Amino acid sequence: MGLALEGLEGRGDDAVLDLDITTNRVDCMNVYGVAREVSVLYGVALRPPDVSFPEAGPLASESLDVTIEAPDLCPRFCARVLDVRLGPSPPWIRDRLEAVGVRPINNVVDLTNYVLMEMGHPSHAFDLARVPEGKLVVRWAREGDRLTTLDGVGRILAGRVGVVAGTEGALALAGIMGGASSEVSDETRTVALEAAWWDPLSIRRASKALGMHTEASHRFERGADPEAPPAATARIAHLLAKIGAGSARPGFIDRRPVPRARRATSFRPARAAAVLGTPVAEDRARRILTGLGFTVKEQPAAWDVEIPSWRSDVSREADIIEEVGRHLGVDRIQPTVPPARGAEGLRPVQVATRAVREALVGAGLTEVINYAFVSDAEAGPHAPPRLHLANPLSEEQGALRSSLVMPGLVSTLRTNLRQGRRDVRVFEMGRVFGNTPPGLAEESRVAVLLAGAMSPHWKSERRAADFYDGKGVVELLGRRLGLGSFSFEPDGAPGFLHPVKAAVVSLDGQARGYVGCLHPDVAEAWELRDEAVVAELELGVLTAPRPPVRVRPLPRSPAVERDLSVIADRVAAASEIEARIKAAAGGRLREVSVVDRYEGEHVPAGKVSLTFSLVYQDPARTLTGEEVQASVDRVVAALRAAGLQIRGE
Amino acid sequence: MPGSDRPSEGIVRELPRLRSDFDAALAEARDPDALQDVRTRFLGRKSGELTLLFGRLGKLKEDERREAGRELNTVKQEVESRLEARRVELERRRRDEQLLRERMDVTLPGRTPAVGRRHPLTVVREQLEDIFVSMGYEIYDAFPEIDDDFHCFEALNMPPDHPARDMQDTFYLQGGSALLRTHTSTGQIRYLLSNPHPPFVRIICPGKVYRRDDDITHSPMFQQVEGLVVGPGITLADLKGTIETFLHALFGPQYPVRFRSSFFPYTEPSMEADLGCVVCDGKGCRVCKGTGWLEILGSGMVHPAELEAVNRRLGKVVYDPEEVTGFAFGLGIERVAMVRHGVDDIRLFYGNDLRFLEQF
Repeated sequence: MGLALEGLEGRGDDAVLDLDITTNRVDCMNVYGVAREVSVLYGVALRPPDVSFPEAGPLASESLDVTIEAPDLCPRFCARVLDVRLGPSPPWIRDRLEAVGVRPINNVVDLTNYVLMEMGHPSHAFDLARVPEGKLVVRWAREGDRLTTLDGVGRILAGRVGVVAGTEGALALAGIMGGASSEVSDETRTVALEAAWWDPLSIRRASKALGMHTEASHRFERGADPEAPPAATARIAHLLAKIGAGSARPGFIDRRPVPRARRATSFRPARAAAVLGTPVAEDRARRILTGLGFTVKEQPAAWDVEIPSWRSDVSREADIIEEVGRHLGVDRIQPTVPPARGAEGLRPVQVATRAVREALVGAGLTEVINYAFVSDAEAGPHAPPRLHLANPLSEEQGALRSSLVMPGLVSTLRTNLRQGRRDVRVFEMGRVFGNTPPGLAEESRVAVLLAGAMSPHWKSERRAADFYDGKGVVELLGRRLGLGSFSFEPDGAPGFLHPVKAAVVSLDGQARGYVGCLHPDVAEAWELRDEAVVAELELGVLTAPRPPVRVRPLPRSPAVERDLSVIADRVAAASEIEARIKAAAGGRLREVSVVDRYEGEHVPAGKVSLTFSLVYQDPARTLTGEEVQASVDRVVAALRAAGLQIRGE
Repeated sequence: MPGSDRPSEGIVRELPRLRSDFDAALAEARDPDALQDVRTRFLGRKSGELTLLFGRLGKLKEDERREAGRELNTVKQEVESRLEARRVELERRRRDEQLLRERMDVTLPGRTPAVGRRHPLTVVREQLEDIFVSMGYEIYDAFPEIDDDFHCFEALNMPPDHPARDMQDTFYLQGGSALLRTHTSTGQIRYLLSNPHPPFVRIICPGKVYRRDDDITHSPMFQQVEGLVVGPGITLADLKGTIETFLHALFGPQYPVRFRSSFFPYTEPSMEADLGCVVCDGKGCRVCKGTGWLEILGSGMVHPAELEAVNRRLGKVVYDPEEVTGFAFGLGIERVAMVRHGVDDIRLFYGNDLRFLEQF
């Protein structure tokens, strides 16, 4: 029914139950509240504690006066005056307090704690002799108010902190903790016993501001029972007399500037049945609610249910439905499955995202996940402006990442190198964050890092990962996702990359990422070993929806291949020569690609020989030798015109 | 004619001897060169024994020539076919011997193509996505990780200063009131506000969430999957059935599921679901702290206050609590992976040590 039993311990003839009470059920944070629930669960009678007591002595109002100056802080303040004989509590009280983890102090203080645990309402005992003129004022703290609380800490109060004060200054933190100056001690003969009801929000703000959390503040900030103060003080008076430690003076001080409004809500058993998905017998529901303290007035359209004062967590019909559901037992409701209205399936973007991941896994990379928080120092200066956290766990986790590679994957590499691992092939897919106008931005990216040997095997020489391995992974993604070709430009890559072994990756003329080797300075700073190649791309461009493939008919005639070796400057871009070849060759050139690159004694210094394979094909008929040759001749002429030499002539 | 030796008979009479000579020579030939010698000896163009016999046919009369010729041809075909058979056999043997010389050590490592794998949390997340897609759910993850107080707390019935917020310690961004979402429940609000077919909702929202917490069972960044179903006639019974169905699909149908009343600010009634411990089969172990049950997820019927907050933001009643009800649930992906694989320290998932990741 919502109270989780965490532990059960025998203790002599008795037992201690350790219950986990959800934060909304202040009313169950005491023995009586739990008993109430149990009484409804098992259908047994609930017996309220005895609150009768003899009165003796002069009227309480003759020795104690209470004024509320801040009704917004304190809608109700009650007090009694007690004549006490200080001493230790009897064993049965000490025993019960210790069983629930409360340290016995003296009979008066113990009784306030006992009633707190038993009935759930906090109260506080002031030594009345140390309340100047017997006057208590409930007000907000004034700037500079000082108070040494019972824990011995001297505090300077300010802001919206409530106090119970005397004529000479604050005596107690309202709803949180009493003060040392009016603390009950062996010398105490008369006690002003306070039981009040504080505005929950005020107590919460004050306790947060002071960094204090007590049994009292815990209950008040969750909305304790405004009708409890009279019974709580009466119970203390009863127990005081019972243990022979004193008596209460006649008269009960009750300041109530803000009367409590009646709270009620409507309840429809039929709606409860509809929400719970199980039949709700009306008289069962009535018994449950009545047993829990609700007053039920059955009416044809909807019941009127008055909410008891101790249930601050209940305010509307949904809450009443929950009460009924809890006690009917949610585990007894027969499960059903709502029928589907259609089949959504993964959206194309989601399918494509999985395809990106599968392509990288298939290429032999392992997925990693790094934290979004990074340190500005590690992330380095070469990045767009980062967002920062106002309350990070530590300074090293104070910024939000603007790149998956730096420091994320580089840090992953170092972590693994430190474990003695030399070959690392990893990728990550996730969001990066930035401060680009007009505001905060998030972008999904994919990044890879390759370091160490590519496919080491005893039969072949160890080959370390290089730029072209990184580029190959990028091209793999382009091919697998059916994009056109990426273009790779050597300028403009981020500063943490090698100045020349890096490229900006573009699609359709727009830069979408980069690939390159890490700058040697970065490698040194991170204590990396082999050269590491990294790449980072916008995920959105990879996963943008694409129409399905339209199949092209198979060619009816064979292709003709011609090789052409071109001598070019060492620093020439192969893609430029390819572009010239394509431009000159004409429409029947189906494909051109670099199949060899030679640098050495057969080629002049500072030059390389690039061999291009040209594949000609006409889909409809076989090309004649002359047609192919004519095209090749045009290509040769164009290349010569551009100042390039054809090898083998 | 008695006593006369016809010339054809002379030829033919030599054949048995030739045959047995050939047999012997063929048996002796153990390699292609020797075989070639045998061929030359018997069928050689100039001086092959059989060739010479053929040459003597010319001296015979017509009918004798025919008869002898037939015999010679028979022998010739036989010789040729046997030579060929022998050649084939020698060739096959030679090749077989050569194949055997290619023997190598099959116990040496193969050229295994590089093995990659998904992160174990991704595996769990995708498995959950697939289960829910099969139940007709939409996967909604296109909402931000940086969000604001309205989507993260206020609209979920947690006004400022509410004690329930203590349950989640929030990261705030500098320079404003933006925060890192503490739960994927922000997805509920964002979807409700941008729903393409209101008031019907049937989604799960997987994603990363952030809380200021860092110890062996808490990571400052972790992953959740949120579920939300809204529509006419959605009940708590439906919530129970849905949870049972997907927990059984995720862990196996043999583990019981039980429900306990609980509290969350954004659901009313609220329930927590426990799964019979998959490690000890409910007998009690360290993982389930001796109880035989694993706490797995939180859930409940969508609080009307949440629908009301969304309606206020939309400026009109799109989700009428009298017309539609809904349920929601949320579970942590790390928890599933930790239970399934026996991982004790949640931080291993984000340490990215390949010795850990490559065990999956």
